[in-house]
Amino acid sequence: MLFLQLLVDGLQLGALYALMAVGFAIIFGSTRVFHYAHGTTYVIVGYVFFYLAERLALPWWLAAAIASAAAVVFGVALDRFVYRPIQRDEGSFFTVFVASFGIGVVAENLIIIFFGASFVSISTPLTRVSDIGGGIVVSYLGMFSVLVAVLLFTFLNWFLAKTDVGVALRALSENPELVRGFGLNPRKLSQYAFAIGSLLVAPAALVATCVTGLTPSAGHRVVLISIAASIIGGIGSLRGAGFGGLILGLAESLAVWKLSTGWSEAVSFIILLAFILARPSGLFGTRARV
Amino acid sequence: MVGYILNLLILVSISGILAGSLNFIIGYAGIYSMAHAAFFGVSAYTAALIAMNLSTSLLVAIPAAMAICAALSLVISLPSLRVRGEYFVVASLGLQQIAFTVFSEWKDVTGGLGGITGVPVATLFGYKLRSLGSMLTVSLVCLALVTLVIYVLVRTSFGRNLKAIRDNEVAASAFGKNATAIKTIAVAISSALCGIAGVLYAFHVSFVNPESFTVDASVLIMAMIIIGGTGTVFGPILGALIIHLLPAGLTYLTFLPARELASLQQIIYGAAMVLLMIYRPSGLIGRSNVKDTWTR
Amino acid sequence: MSEAPVLRLKGVNKRFGGVVAANDVDLDLPGGVVTALVGPNGAGKTTLFNLITGNLKPDSGLIELRGRSLAGIEPRGAALAGIARSFQDLRLFEQMTVFENVLSVMERSALPWQPGGRAAANARREKADATIAQVGLTNWRDARAIDLGYAEQKFLSLARILVTDASLWLLDEPASGLDPASYERFVKLVRGRLSEGITICLIEHNLDIVHGISDRIAFLDQGTVLAAGEPRAILNDPKLAAIYFGERR
Repeated sequence: MLFLQLLVDGLQLGALYALMAVGFAIIFGSTRVFHYAHGTTYVIVGYVFFYLAERLALPWWLAAAIASAAAVVFGVALDRFVYRPIQRDEGSFFTVFVASFGIGVVAENLIIIFFGASFVSISTPLTRVSDIGGGIVVSYLGMFSVLVAVLLFTFLNWFLAKTDVGVALRALSENPELVRGFGLNPRKLSQYAFAIGSLLVAPAALVATCVTGLTPSAGHRVVLISIAASIIGGIGSLRGAGFGGLILGLAESLAVWKLSTGWSEAVSFIILLAFILARPSGLFGTRARV
Repeated sequence: MVGYILNLLILVSISGILAGSLNFIIGYAGIYSMAHAAFFGVSAYTAALIAMNLSTSLLVAIPAAMAICAALSLVISLPSLRVRGEYFVVASLGLQQIAFTVFSEWKDVTGGLGGITGVPVATLFGYKLRSLGSMLTVSLVCLALVTLVIYVLVRTSFGRNLKAIRDNEVAASAFGKNATAIKTIAVAISSALCGIAGVLYAFHVSFVNPESFTVDASVLIMAMIIIGGTGTVFGPILGALIIHLLPAGLTYLTFLPARELASLQQIIYGAAMVLLMIYRPSGLIGRSNVKDTWTR
Repeated sequence: MSEAPVLRLKGVNKRFGGVVAANDVDLDLPGGVVTALVGPNGAGKTTLFNLITGNLKPDSGLIELRGRSLAGIEPRGAALAGIARSFQDLRLFEQMTVFENVLSVMERSALPWQPGGRAAANARREKADATIAQVGLTNWRDARAIDLGYAEQKFLSLARILVTDASLWLLDEPASGLDPASYERFVKLVRGRLSEGITICLIEHNLDIVHGISDRIAFLDQGTVLAAGEPRAILNDPKLAAIYFGERR
């Protein structure tokens, strides 16, 4: 029974991880930016949500909407003011990474100054659980997570297949050489990539603020899991990133069966190292050697 | 006052070793490792455990820590360096996280979040390094030796190999260089040298806990390299000095809230990283990629 | 004089999706002779070099160096087998000095020391300085490669080849853009080593000068070897000229 419960929990966690991972993959795939600040987006959403809902007592749906909008603004602003200037000057992968990392450090410590370094969370009735039979419990938030994930992925599926921007983004992810040759404005494309990619992080942050609580340094784990999922799923495959996120969520949850919670958090990174060792192209990677 | 200065200089020496060993791979080889704090921690814990269970002699702790760090570096370099450098960054980030988890969760060995306290005084040839002065002497000697090793390596064929790979790996391979092997060895050397710093740290502050070896520590070490300059062997030491003097300087700006000084420091370094990456096209690698047209 | 060719390509094929980069290529490089690969842009000349050195793997066909197959080789292995290669975009070690560029090419060991000890190290340094003098870059010995002028960079690229003990040179447009006087000097340096039995293959774009430097010419177009033989015959062929100047397209 414990196993099934952990499986269910893992699916909920995996749904959120999948969203984060696909968000990262969309950004990296189409702009080739190692967006370490993806984790910062997550933290910003969480703290804005917390501030608006808890401190200013705004209705939760409004706070959530504003927080999600903040994610989009942050992502697009970074692209415009930090990444693009660097890439214009032929910045390398590592230059962009260090800049992104620096943003993360600045944001994290600003949050520490204004909110303190310990956990913040919001209490909400949505964390209540209900028994779905067989002694397995699911929280409303858990169901919410899966529902939102399904909705967003359905939307993404349509968007990436049927709209000009979406098709371009997907094509770029799989074939970075197309960047030059494409008809669409590359600047507009990267804006879309960062907007969508950042938005996808929001559900995970909102849920975490209610359930586990949030700390300023949570961003590091978030971006690493997103990267790990992208590598496991295969660089260049958006579906792969989602699948990778799901796998990591399940793995982390099931690991609790044998390990304590603290150790289970390391499981994702051990899987990451294993994949880099054995199969760097991932499960659905489009290239054997990147 | 004297004690304060001696303590500061010891910490600067230790940081100088950390920054110098990291600059060896970032500045000279273009290999970006984010796991330096993890190696620092592993060697500190190793030293603490050896001191409490085996021997307090530096001549035991230092080689042991160096060996363990070098071996550990292979965990991330062997899989990722044969693929691409970008994977190495990711692997190093992963190792940093795993290391922190190990430090916090392996309570039987590391003491969990509380860490290991009461590390005995270090000894050298039987002589107890009880005073700050003796500890400083040893630290300075270690710093000098590490800097000398790096200086020599950089000026020999190994240094040229690293720079060749950094400048143009395709050409380096085309001329017969084994890029993967060279990078793996460089990372192992860097980690081993970093291990010396961990040993000194554990004995000096006489306790180790996970808090000292987080991403924040990696940020500080990076900042030392960036501020001090990556193109020379002495730059990182200068950076270490500045980084350690900054908090002291900040306390004179009394309008700044004392509680937040650590965070303010991190903000300054983070902002410096971002601005430097935007406005200095060559990024972290010391010298400019821009042609000096006036030197012709 | 006529023995087995030093390098032999037989039936080599390489496609990238729909693009045929090498189409059933048969090519022999005889020893002690300069063979030029000519052809319009995109003909597949650099691709052949990449296939020989292992930067690309052929879809099918044989590549043999002195009878030994180069199948599965990596660029590093090609260098160890005695092949030295220069690049169209030079790929100098830009932050290193001229001296370091030339010296480093001789330092193949990955370990923090090279075999041979002090004596060998001194010998390498002397050889580096001698080679730098040969190409006329002594005045720039301690300048960074990135600070050199265009012609100097070309000669530095050649110096890196000269200083190896490779027996097969693959030079990709090594002299393009050089003024006539520098070009003369370049040709002398390249051909000067032929008497030692070195085999040279170079890619050259400029048909006007290629007959001055090469003993044989192979003409490529769209991955296919259209003709190979004496320079005069090939260069005077009107059909090939039409292809080269794009009249057919």
